[in-house]
Amino acid sequence: MQPRSRGVSALTGLADAHFAMPAAIAGALALAFGGAPLGVLLIARRMSLVGDALSHGILPGAALAYLVAGPDPVALTLGALGAGFLVAILSSLLARTGRLPEDASFAVFYLSALALGVVILGRSANAEALLDLLFGAAGGLDATGLIVSAIAASATLILLALFLRGFLAESADPVFMRASGLPGGLLHLLLMMLVALNLVAGFRAFGALMTVGLMMIPAASARFWARGYTGQAAAAVLISVLASGSGLWLAQALGWEPGAIMTLCASVLFAASALIGPNKGLLQNLPGRTHLEG
Amino acid sequence: MSAVRLHDLTLGYERRPAVHHLDGTFGLGCATAVVGPNGSGKSTLLKGLAGALAPLSGRVDRSGLKARDIAYLPQDHGVDRTFPMTLGELVTLGLWGRRGLFGAINASDRHTVEHAMQAVGLGGFEDRALDSVSGGQLQRALFARVLVQDARLILLDEPFTALDARTTTDLIALVKRWPGEGRTVVMVLHDLDMVREVCSDTLLLAREKVAWGPTEAALGGENLLKARRLSEAWSQEAAVCSRDHAA
Repeated sequence: MQPRSRGVSALTGLADAHFAMPAAIAGALALAFGGAPLGVLLIARRMSLVGDALSHGILPGAALAYLVAGPDPVALTLGALGAGFLVAILSSLLARTGRLPEDASFAVFYLSALALGVVILGRSANAEALLDLLFGAAGGLDATGLIVSAIAASATLILLALFLRGFLAESADPVFMRASGLPGGLLHLLLMMLVALNLVAGFRAFGALMTVGLMMIPAASARFWARGYTGQAAAAVLISVLASGSGLWLAQALGWEPGAIMTLCASVLFAASALIGPNKGLLQNLPGRTHLEG
Repeated sequence: MSAVRLHDLTLGYERRPAVHHLDGTFGLGCATAVVGPNGSGKSTLLKGLAGALAPLSGRVDRSGLKARDIAYLPQDHGVDRTFPMTLGELVTLGLWGRRGLFGAINASDRHTVEHAMQAVGLGGFEDRALDSVSGGQLQRALFARVLVQDARLILLDEPFTALDARTTTDLIALVKRWPGEGRTVVMVLHDLDMVREVCSDTLLLAREKVAWGPTEAALGGENLLKARRLSEAWSQEAAVCSRDHAA
């Protein structure tokens, strides 16, 4: 693959050589507070790759919007959101029928969506736009992007607070949820839609794939710092903030795309967590350590 | 007076009956054992009673009982032990019927949870993570959740498997109190001595009803022999059920 030329983003039409640091910080903070707690739930439900699947799922919507309206931020956001919600709803419904495992349901829809997105973008004869969608364009976080990010983070935190008991029960013991007549299916769908919303909030600035990275890697790191969900969610937010802050600073200093650098910073923090984290970190289980009394 | 009545009930998967054409009544405040060989449809029947499996034909009349009035402890509980949750939180889920999605958990609820955990010998285990306890301890926590649910119909599928003798004795003492409290209990059990000790009634199944009534009569030698002879599994070449055909 050719290195991407710097200058004007093919997708957004905005200059991406120098991104506005305050806007990038605000967007990254919103993603940390909204995305990281969702990432912890996804990992706990053994659905780590669903975020990845949904990130591809938003592609045809964004591509169609780009083909119809050009680099209009509102159209791109609405297109991506529509496609993300559609993939989330169809995959969840198919999985609920019990005919296919959940990951297989997502695979069917996201691969179809990805292919559709490539076909649509191919008609616009603009391959750079596809790269922008997947990996981000630093100048993509304009006023519309910030508003979507703020809505995504606020909606996520409010709905998590309201339905946390339901999300935990549906994740840990779905059989109990069904037998108790509780709306497990609806909660599951709500969770998937929140994931799609956060991905759409982050994708224009940090890229769809990198946004998943910023959602999942801090969440995976958090498992080494706390046992319960609340502790893990708090740790994931903190790690995401640290990764985003250091990544943005490095990206600004080096003049590189921030999404990938932020994700790499999260990877470094994951390695440190896996090594020194008090909850099953590698150093906790060194051979020769004395055991406890009881 | 009946708690649950079965009307020509057939339950199964993909049109294949696991148990078929059941008629009968689980009496209010009665403890009934469901007994039968492997593959006789016992767990499927409990799923159907719980509302977790829709009938292929016939129906279950629960006499107005709602889902929150039913506590169901399945054999394959499906709890993900890697999930970041404590035993106390798992037991607290039993309060859902009363508190719903948004209701706050108050001091009285916390006392109820603590009391239930003590009753199953798990006092002090409230903050233990799911992946840090044994299979038997998790089963006891699920039993505590049944206690917390305070349900009128209690469905237990082999609840004492994986439990040690002392815990089993303690839990049987709890179960024996339930009929006196007006609760209807249906339990899948294999130990016939335990069935005779705990349950006044027994349903002997072999993919259809072999006997249903007072335990001593239902577990008569002839009935047990008949249950053993009946087929364990469906036939791959089975035709459409003649009873359904006639109807």
